[in-house]
Amino acid sequence: MTTDTPAPSETAPEPGMIKADLLAGLFFILLGLAVFYGAWTMDRLEVRRIHPMTVPGLVPGMLAIALTLCGTILSFRSLRTPAAGGWQHLSGAVLSSAAARAATVMLLALIYTLGLVGTLPFWAATGLFVFAFIMVFECWLSEPRKPWLKSLLWASGLAVATATVVTLVFERAFLVRLP
Amino acid sequence: MFDGLLMLGGGLAHFFTPVSLFNIAWATLLGIVIGALPGLTATMGVALLVTLTYKMAPDQAILCLMCLYCGAIYGGSRTAILLSIPGTPASAATTLDGHPLALQGKAGTAMGLATTSSALGTIVGIIALALIAPLLAEAALKFGTYEFFWLALFGVIISGQLTAIDDPLKGYIAGILGLLVAMVGMETLHAHQRFTFGISALGGGVDLIPAMVGAFGFAEILGVMKRTAQARIISSGDRVIPRFSEVFQYKWTTIRSGLIGTFVGIVPGVGEDVGAWASYAAAKRVSKEKHMFGKGSQEGLIAAETGNSAVIPGAMIPTLTLALPGSAAAAVLIAAMFIHGIRPGPLLMTENPEFLYQIVAILLFSTIAMLIFGLTLTRPLLTVLQVPRERLMAVVYVLCVVGSFAITQRMFDVYVMVGFGIIGFILREMKYPMAPLVLGIILGDLLDLNLRRGLLLTNGDPSPFFTRPISAVICVIIILTILMSIPAVSTRVRSIFTRGRGDASAQG
Repeated sequence: MTTDTPAPSETAPEPGMIKADLLAGLFFILLGLAVFYGAWTMDRLEVRRIHPMTVPGLVPGMLAIALTLCGTILSFRSLRTPAAGGWQHLSGAVLSSAAARAATVMLLALIYTLGLVGTLPFWAATGLFVFAFIMVFECWLSEPRKPWLKSLLWASGLAVATATVVTLVFERAFLVRLP
Repeated sequence: MFDGLLMLGGGLAHFFTPVSLFNIAWATLLGIVIGALPGLTATMGVALLVTLTYKMAPDQAILCLMCLYCGAIYGGSRTAILLSIPGTPASAATTLDGHPLALQGKAGTAMGLATTSSALGTIVGIIALALIAPLLAEAALKFGTYEFFWLALFGVIISGQLTAIDDPLKGYIAGILGLLVAMVGMETLHAHQRFTFGISALGGGVDLIPAMVGAFGFAEILGVMKRTAQARIISSGDRVIPRFSEVFQYKWTTIRSGLIGTFVGIVPGVGEDVGAWASYAAAKRVSKEKHMFGKGSQEGLIAAETGNSAVIPGAMIPTLTLALPGSAAAAVLIAAMFIHGIRPGPLLMTENPEFLYQIVAILLFSTIAMLIFGLTLTRPLLTVLQVPRERLMAVVYVLCVVGSFAITQRMFDVYVMVGFGIIGFILREMKYPMAPLVLGIILGDLLDLNLRRGLLLTNGDPSPFFTRPISAVICVIIILTILMSIPAVSTRVRSIFTRGRGDASAQG
């Protein structure tokens, strides 16, 4: 690759990102150590007299060492890079309206996937999800907010259409027993 | 040589049927629409379509997936030009010159040139695929267990290095995480269950398709819905079909970008975005109109679009001959091939040689379809761009759920999709690339099995991994790649070279 590649790579890392790297680095160190413990204590199948160099924990152990090493480098690099106001930037990003929008999508998706699917018939769960998603993002979280009557009509129409089409196509054409 | 031409003829004839032509038409068009819609990427489209093509004949299923892949990579250029938002990551370089052209009232010219460049880029890649793949497949027959271990490691490392140019460490971490995910489930050498924690659904490991639908589908939905700003569409009524002179004027840029794109495609796990950036940078360096780049240069636009499209056939070269995915979407294609009983790898040319030429034929047909749709359907595609994302993303999430559920019909896969979506979103926000993660999942088993099988064959002696010629070469490349990603080492190496050059010019 060349140095004059105009990818958005030439910008300096944000202070918030440097602090996020520190947290991620520590997490990777912990994950690496946990996996290493799992690999070290993994059954070495001595009863089956396999060659000690082919134990199932060999590669996971090596990967765990590599992850711990990378996590350590990431953490050290983050500690050595000056990042004035990094924690404020990071908490600002986590508590921003953008993060709230993403969290809302996650919440709606989790309610649909873990709660509604399997409890209600699939078509009903899907219809409810599509309706709620559109209403929340058009009438509550959008800037400027859209007229609620128009959104209500669109949300209801799309909810019915999606629920019907997806259920029919998958159950009739692809013979999938939907949850 | 004649055998190859005959098989290519056979491949073209094989798909010259009404059903195949119909499939080519809808799949390419669907691909263009998916590519044009911001938030829907080629990889996500291919992953979701695997479910819909499950019941099809293998050749028709692969035909639809390949056509969608080609269409989506091209479709992204439309959004890049008219909205200044890359429809897929592959079109990021296209925005630099495509959108300024649209602002100058030349949106039609930009769209036309993007279409012809994409077609020409794919053709350069197709020629390389038809010529290189059979040779590589023959060479790959000499590869043994030691070489495959290094190749798997090379794939993850190089993908980590090139998809996160500004921070290879994050690329490596993503690759290691992918490899660790692949360690879950039954291992193939001694049939031992690893990291399953007593959960029976984890016995078979984590399936690639739900993981991809999560990492490229749900994560993308979260990323798109996070933003509040809506872009304004810029369009104009100038001619879309470019003049021959406009295309011919930059013939060398086209050929160079096509070759760079193909090479990037061959490198495992390095996708269309890198292909576009690399060809754009090369075109800028040698151009006579450097100052125009970023301000509406037709040459820049041609370089970016040729570069990203040439990656697709290029990526099929390692995918078909070594079963090493050349890009993230190619990883899904490998999974789809396995579902349909096609085994890519060195034996493909022995077991199923006509399949390679069928892929070449598919790419040719898809290019023609792309050219026709791209140059004619300007208005309908403009309507597609106006679909509000709030309405679209709700439906897309439903498809993600059904898509991950449908293949094995168990809710566990849906939970995998949700988990990968949320983790993928957090990783993306922290600038970790997704391609090495995916490559890690697909190559983990290959790496693990070949390392331990090699050690079993030599009774625990690791020396053949370093002494066999091909193994030694790949090993040296891996070490150099890692060393060069360490800033202190790469700066020192660069300073040695610049000093050497400086001395030479001083003496001269």
